[in-house]
Amino acid sequence: MDKIGLFVCTGCEIGKAIDVDALEEAGRDKGAKQFVKHACLCNPEGVALIQKAIDGGEVDAVAIAACSNRAKVAEFSFDRTKTPVERIALREQVVWTHPGGEEDTQMLAADLVRMGVAKVGRMTLPKKLDDTLDDTVLVVGGGLAGLTAANAAAGMGHPVVLVEKGEQLGGYMAGLKDVLPETPPYDRLHSNTVAALVKEVEASKQIKVLTRGTIKSITGQPGMFEVSLEANGVAQSFKAGAIVQATGSRPYDATKLGHLGYGKSPNVLTAQELDAQLGAGALKRPSDGKLPGRVLFVQCAGSRDANHLPYCSSECCATTLRQVAAIHRDHPEIECAVVYKDMRAPGQLEHFYLAVQSKPNSLFARGTIDEVQVKGDGLCARVKDSILGDELQLDADLVVLAVGMCPNSADGEAIRQVRDAKARIAKNESEEQVRQGKETVDKLGHHEGTEILNLVYRQGPDLPVLRYAFPDSHYICFPYETRRTGVYAAGTVRAPMDAAQATEDGFGAAMKAVQCISAAKRSEAVHPRAGDIGVAEFFLQRCTQCKRCTEECPFGTLNEDVKGTPEYNPWRCRRCGICLGSCPERIISFPDYSVDAIATAIKAMEVPDETEEKPRILAFLCENDALPALDEAAARGMKWNPWIRVIPVRCLGAINTVWIADSLSSGVDGVLMLGCKSGDDYQCHYIRGSELCKTRMTNVRETLSRLTLEPERVQIHEIGRNEFARIPEIFDAFAETITSVGPNPYKGF
Amino acid sequence: MASGTALVPSSAARLEIYGRGGEASARCYQCATCSSVCELATEDHTFPRRQMLWTQWGLRDRLAGDPGIWLCHQCNDCTVRCPRDARPGDIMQVARGMAIEELAFPRFVGHLVGRARTTWVLLLGIPFLFWTLLVYLHNGLTPAAGGDWAYAEIVPHWMIYSVYFPTFFVLAGVPALVGASRAWKKWGEGRKRAGSFVTNLIAVLTEIVVHRRFGKCGVGKGRKWGHFFIFWGFILAAVTSGFLVVWLYAYDLELPLFSYRCPGAAGPTCHLPLDNWMKIMGNIGAVSLVLGGVLILINRLSPGQPAGKSMAFDNLLLAVVLLVIATGVGAEVGRLVLNPGVAMWIYIVHLSSVLCLFLSVPYSKFAHMVYRTLALVHERMVTAAKS
Amino acid sequence: MSQPLMIVGAGIAGVTSAAEAAEAGREVILVEKDPSVGGRVLRSHHYFPKMCPPSCGMEINTRRLENNPRVTVKVRTTVKRAEPVGKGWRVTLERQPDYVNQNCTACGECSKVCPAKVPDPFNLKLSEVPAIRLPHGEAWPRRFVLDRTACPAGCTKCVEVCTYKAIDLDAKPTEETVEVSAVVLATGWRPYAKEKLVELGGGLYPDVIANVELERLTAPAGPTGGKILRPSNGQAPKKVAFVQCAGSRDRNHLPYCSAVCCLASLKQATYVKNQIPDAEVTIYYIDRRTPGRNEDVLTKTTALEGVRLVKGKVGKVTRRDDGTLALRVEDVDRGQLLEATADLVVLATGMVPNLADGALFGVERDPDGFGLDDLSRGLFVAGVARRPEDVAASVRDATGAAAKAIVAAGRSA
Repeated sequence: MDKIGLFVCTGCEIGKAIDVDALEEAGRDKGAKQFVKHACLCNPEGVALIQKAIDGGEVDAVAIAACSNRAKVAEFSFDRTKTPVERIALREQVVWTHPGGEEDTQMLAADLVRMGVAKVGRMTLPKKLDDTLDDTVLVVGGGLAGLTAANAAAGMGHPVVLVEKGEQLGGYMAGLKDVLPETPPYDRLHSNTVAALVKEVEASKQIKVLTRGTIKSITGQPGMFEVSLEANGVAQSFKAGAIVQATGSRPYDATKLGHLGYGKSPNVLTAQELDAQLGAGALKRPSDGKLPGRVLFVQCAGSRDANHLPYCSSECCATTLRQVAAIHRDHPEIECAVVYKDMRAPGQLEHFYLAVQSKPNSLFARGTIDEVQVKGDGLCARVKDSILGDELQLDADLVVLAVGMCPNSADGEAIRQVRDAKARIAKNESEEQVRQGKETVDKLGHHEGTEILNLVYRQGPDLPVLRYAFPDSHYICFPYETRRTGVYAAGTVRAPMDAAQATEDGFGAAMKAVQCISAAKRSEAVHPRAGDIGVAEFFLQRCTQCKRCTEECPFGTLNEDVKGTPEYNPWRCRRCGICLGSCPERIISFPDYSVDAIATAIKAMEVPDETEEKPRILAFLCENDALPALDEAAARGMKWNPWIRVIPVRCLGAINTVWIADSLSSGVDGVLMLGCKSGDDYQCHYIRGSELCKTRMTNVRETLSRLTLEPERVQIHEIGRNEFARIPEIFDAFAETITSVGPNPYKGF
Repeated sequence: MASGTALVPSSAARLEIYGRGGEASARCYQCATCSSVCELATEDHTFPRRQMLWTQWGLRDRLAGDPGIWLCHQCNDCTVRCPRDARPGDIMQVARGMAIEELAFPRFVGHLVGRARTTWVLLLGIPFLFWTLLVYLHNGLTPAAGGDWAYAEIVPHWMIYSVYFPTFFVLAGVPALVGASRAWKKWGEGRKRAGSFVTNLIAVLTEIVVHRRFGKCGVGKGRKWGHFFIFWGFILAAVTSGFLVVWLYAYDLELPLFSYRCPGAAGPTCHLPLDNWMKIMGNIGAVSLVLGGVLILINRLSPGQPAGKSMAFDNLLLAVVLLVIATGVGAEVGRLVLNPGVAMWIYIVHLSSVLCLFLSVPYSKFAHMVYRTLALVHERMVTAAKS
Repeated sequence: MSQPLMIVGAGIAGVTSAAEAAEAGREVILVEKDPSVGGRVLRSHHYFPKMCPPSCGMEINTRRLENNPRVTVKVRTTVKRAEPVGKGWRVTLERQPDYVNQNCTACGECSKVCPAKVPDPFNLKLSEVPAIRLPHGEAWPRRFVLDRTACPAGCTKCVEVCTYKAIDLDAKPTEETVEVSAVVLATGWRPYAKEKLVELGGGLYPDVIANVELERLTAPAGPTGGKILRPSNGQAPKKVAFVQCAGSRDRNHLPYCSAVCCLASLKQATYVKNQIPDAEVTIYYIDRRTPGRNEDVLTKTTALEGVRLVKGKVGKVTRRDDGTLALRVEDVDRGQLLEATADLVVLATGMVPNLADGALFGVERDPDGFGLDDLSRGLFVAGVARRPEDVAASVRDATGAAAKAIVAAGRSA
């Protein structure tokens, strides 16, 4: 871009606090061809001014030196496909946070202008992709969530292919006679309607149902997946735009619960086995086929238990309530005793809990059962820690174990590791490599053969899983996000849940799938940079096949060709820029965010030599949390050290270490990085950005010490969106550190 | 396998307790709001939360053998605050009924009274027949001639006292004592008591006469006064009758207390005029009985009152008490205004209801006089033993 | 292209429904009665289980709304009338007067000169703000708002100081009528009033606070700058008691379980421990309801030294002469009646659906006031307006509701 227009606003105290005219030189110095100042750039007149310059072709790139890029967004929303725009936050980063009229403040403003102008000069225009994209939604799994998703997607006007591995649709729910009440008065069982849903799906012209189906492979990307599978023994392949994985869950393996009598007596059942009896209307004691006199329900059988499932499956209490209600409807004389740790009947289920407990032959007691003993053809349990204060001996004819649920997921990353390890063993390059390979195979080998989606992705054939093998992202605000764009998990594979929740999940996942296709058709990114139209460009001639980008992309965007050269799939890409941060050859760029543009911005700042005693500090702030926190600190009138120059980044993971090197070699005294929390409770919206940044910077610090530069000069801080008060603290503390370690010896080189 | 003996829940017992009027307790989810809002529960005797649990598990003996159920004064604060409408107050009431029945001596009488819903005809009928027969044998059930007559003309005082004293002190007293000692033994199991029984008893009685604990009740305040007046009414009635006896058999002695003499030589057939202090005492008693009775009735019948669900068992007691009061007053008034025939029959009903009352003391809710008093003593001594 | 969808309520559920539908290419009108979006969640300090600030997700969500040309956000606007038309709805919206118009740059000069102070609704009235102000630090849309009722007679200070002609003290309410194809009600909830819990000291003693108030006391932007202090004396509490099911699972108050209070209290226990490491925290509960993987929150928090969980519902809270609070409760596991003390009592009050006040769009409601979907009329309910649930569940349902609305709209088109 060579016709940069610099538009400076003098409103909001800017004009009073700094010499705006002096900024013209700074701008022109970095290539601004036009300099315009206006008393209120965001009012219609100001905006028109800029629009006119663009339309008249006087400028082909715009730098707006006014307020933060988070303010007046609607007003300054010029067509980015035609004109790159850079916002320079004079208000938040200069006049609100530094004393007016001072030299340091003026220098700060000038630097920000130089950097902004330089940066926008290096921006390019996004290219619209014109792939032909497919509308089809592939739903994997024909249980309640899958059926609902298929129906919803069809209802939203999309063709659907529903793949079920079993003989028929309906999943676990198909076997149930009764379901929990979802409408008032919430005090009685409702009859199961999943059969009707199955009919509806099978009748739909838009839904193609494939039973006894297994997926052989899925290649490509959102909008253009190539699915090949085998259904009822027939191989077929088709295109799909997005995928819903609703593969459900399986009960926890009760054979691990021998201490609770499972396997020792035929009269110890799992809740699922009891459901089979109730579904068939044949409640009986397996040993003699008689009706039981007392049924004992053991809650949390293998759940909330460090030795089995540490988590709560959240529907077992409700399931037990449903089963007790069903038993009492048909046989009020049977006593149902429920022993629980905590009775979990959230929300309106409380009404149902009360209704079920009110029956004279239901018995709910808090306590724990360590052991169920077989006494002849009867059973006997000791209830410990009962609130009676004494132990309780409970004989029963039938014991029902409320076992938890395990997701039917496949650990894509583990499988990939095993495959790589085997490859390494086969290559047999070095003893060490073979040994490590064998170790991996021993540790993770069992994951092979669990494949579900068989994605042909460099990072593995299935959704990456997080804690307890559930493949969601563990977001609170964005629960459907997975780490494979265009693939959404729904139902009990995503998280433990009951039927009502699984239904909502089906609708929600369908929504996301449809949305992903729709976004691709507008060549826009999906969450979290929804609407971003810029895609990455790879200058492959310089690629050294180091594979860092393919390894580090949190979303499995990149595949590799045989040589290990990255293959970019724009519709898988979330535009986080972590690949850009990972690339030592600096060959990855986004139109408005590139190594070159930022590096140019860095070089554009003026670094006074050490005699002036004006240190310079570069601060990379994550635009998701740290930058908004800075804006809020500014709006609250907080002040901080004027040596600091802020550069917004998409994510800490999108910081290329070359920027650190550049700045230090150009005499910058210290580099700060402020981003989101990493670790188990990560808040990074790209999952691994902050974490990757940390590991990269440890390497950087090593380099520093080799260059005899103090490692303190480079610091990373995690900060939450609401921790605005920490911004001045961190800035000023770092400024002091820099003062104490002294000026960068490379100044002036 | 866990060591030690374990409790074995009984479905039969649970259903029995539900059948006696405790079915709401099935709804209890053991939040313990009831115990924490109860002003009478103490650290050593928490109720009614445990009692709800014992009920659900059908631990009959624990429930009936618990002194806590006697410390409960049926305020029903618990029932009002219960988040699930499990009516803990009812369970305490049922438990007391079961306890009385179990401690009763001889047991079959206990069961007879315990099943008042079906047996009340017997319980009231037998005394009635008894008195009718007695009066018939004495004077062929002929009413007084009229004029200024006295009941003694129909039923001589010696007859009354020779019936009531033995019933009260033997037929009622002995079983009461046996029941009391059974309870005392049962409560003592595994519980250490300290201090002298007598001193603690005195302390408890002084507490009772002012109804101190009753005063702590939140929502059930109305019941305090009803109970208070009936309580004092009976005491006055008893004292009056006591004195009367002494006086009648020593009427011609010149005692400072008894300044009154019958006109002429009319002897024992004469009656006391209204201004006699003994008469006055008796009437104050009568009035306070009426007052109390009315208060309790109001409290029972008024809607929105948290009073526990009424059960045949304690309704019997209430009915008898009210009958005694009504016929007692009725007889007195009747002598002055009604025709002697009617008055006579009111009197006979009065006599038989009193008899029924005396007889059922150890078996009916009336037994709480004994057991609650005893429980209060027990509690004091347990607490003493702890500190 | 069918008519737009209407989402009523711009809390986390409404914002989600709107953004999800709009990103799927639908026109959406998002209606919010407050001057900015975010609803209840922005009043929370952290979310469980990851203990992250709600403003983080809301930052992204507001960007989604802001950058999406298909979303129209109408704040300070309420639904005045709604009648079914064909298979959709004709809705009359009423917008409160624009005392501050779109010229506002949020520069803040007006607040500096404003003489009137009002209780800050964002901080649950625990602090005061100028009558003209930014609704709160994270407010979007980023425009000031004026509480006109608080203006001193004839005061025009703000008008004089505003160089952008953004303030019009004579602005009038406006009305408009729109036709929409389907509606999602995400009208959210309000906390059950602690004043209704007199027996627990609610409204009687300043040191008996509601869980939502503790969120504000912990938030950096809250009335105490994020310090947990006893309202009575401004001292940091040493003993904090959490009373679970304060008015929930109780036929005398709310018969249902609000589904989030257990986790909220466990989360808040960590607030206290982080700020006051030597504080004793006790949580009195009936059942510990931490379903799913949120079980980890229970495990982690109970492992903290100085955090105790006691089964037993508190029956009564009274104040001692020394100003501390006495809680009467039975420790059910030990069968002991306790007279526990605390210098700060937090009532884990439940959630009351705002729909309980009245059925917008004539939506069918259950006896507790929660709304029910009505496919035939293209009327759907999301978030806590539908059922008591946490944020993740609200977002899940709201995303689903967007799909339902689009399906219904498709049928009506």
